[in-house]
Amino acid sequence: MIREFALNDVYYLLLAARWTLALTGLAFLGGGTVGLLVALLRVAPFAPLRIIAAGYVNIVQGIPLLAWLFVLFFGLPILAGVRVSPWIAAMVAFSIYAGAFLGEIWRGCLQAIPRQQWEAGASLGLSFVEQLRHIIVPQAVRVAIPPTVGFLVQLIKNTSLAAVIGFIELTREGQLTTAATYRPFTVYIAVAAIYFAICFPLTQWSRRLERTLRVAR
Amino acid sequence: MSLVELHNVVKRFGTNTVLDRVSLSVEAGEIIAVIGRSGSGKSTMLRCINGLEPIQEGRIMFDGETVNDPATNLRKLRQRVGIVFQSYNLFPHLSVERNITLAPRVVKGMEREPARELAAAALARVGLAEKIDAYPDQLSGGQQQRVAIARSLAMKPQLMLFDEITSALDPELTGEVLKVLEKVAGEGMTMMLVTHEMGFARRVATRLIFMHQGRIWEEGRASDVLAKPRTPELETFLDAVLH
Repeated sequence: MIREFALNDVYYLLLAARWTLALTGLAFLGGGTVGLLVALLRVAPFAPLRIIAAGYVNIVQGIPLLAWLFVLFFGLPILAGVRVSPWIAAMVAFSIYAGAFLGEIWRGCLQAIPRQQWEAGASLGLSFVEQLRHIIVPQAVRVAIPPTVGFLVQLIKNTSLAAVIGFIELTREGQLTTAATYRPFTVYIAVAAIYFAICFPLTQWSRRLERTLRVAR
Repeated sequence: MSLVELHNVVKRFGTNTVLDRVSLSVEAGEIIAVIGRSGSGKSTMLRCINGLEPIQEGRIMFDGETVNDPATNLRKLRQRVGIVFQSYNLFPHLSVERNITLAPRVVKGMEREPARELAAAALARVGLAEKIDAYPDQLSGGQQQRVAIARSLAMKPQLMLFDEITSALDPELTGEVLKVLEKVAGEGMTMMLVTHEMGFARRVATRLIFMHQGRIWEEGRASDVLAKPRTPELETFLDAVLH
């Protein structure tokens, strides 16, 4: 049964956009936690930790996000006999993915702080963790904000991949609306506009941060 | 027992030998000036003494403790050996006060108020009492270097290492830093300083060391060594820096 694309559909798309944002938020939280750990391990003064973290990053970055979603959603029931909901599968897959990328971004930011800053801290008797906490991280945060916001924008757009495992977010809702109205062009223009409305202000904010933070140092 | 003892220290970067069986004893109260051309190992020697650089052979002792022993607590040791770098290395995100109080508070567990007083006293010693609330980028190079000296002094070290601390400064700013150094020296601090300031070395140092190709090539009283070089290498070097 084909019906017209109406204002009501836009309303439903907006409701679905909430789940896009919710998934982004959770993935950012989960990925941020993993990423922080990865970044810290990558600069640790102990080679095995660095190798483990680098291995994680390489594996995750070498496998498409889509494959992670499939493995978690379709693979786990077969491999481990565990049924996972689209929510859990999407959240875990996106956290794994964001963890690797944020880890790399933040490692770069930590390493952007000159070696002499570590040395100055060490020479005053500060431990590795104290150097990180009081000297390196506070300086690295400034460097990290623009690329982190940039990645967040990527993440918002990438959550559309979760549609393939039946997670109802903006893109999936768009597919459903298209099926009901047979107006793909109109529907996807609306979907794209909503993504743009979310991402564009973030991109602008990131640009502004980049400018002001560069001036501040 | 001397305060610092180096026994046949060998330091290599890859296949490049930077310190070649260096032996040296420094007594408490001595002021040692280390000169030599770049690449002669003088900075590396200082950095080995507080364990910033590992060594490949030999032994370094500070106050009876072996610096290059993996069992030595380098954090404890570094609280007693201050170092000031050529590039100041102040923490740009912290005020002058917090630059100075960071280590006393974090490492020694000092409270905020006494730490601020400590910072004020250390700044007074380097003549910058009024800059306590400034940020490093608001200070001139000479002032930043004096803050770096104050930061090191605030840990009340037994030994201070100065690694070419005036080399990055404009000539007119060098004087204010040297004046501070001279004052600290006058207070009885044991000091080792790598420097290109020959006049300063002659005036302040109790002993002068000339390093060449990773070895201690000549040493003795500053005025003697500078006036009567015994080796052609020192003669060439002095010719180059004095003219």
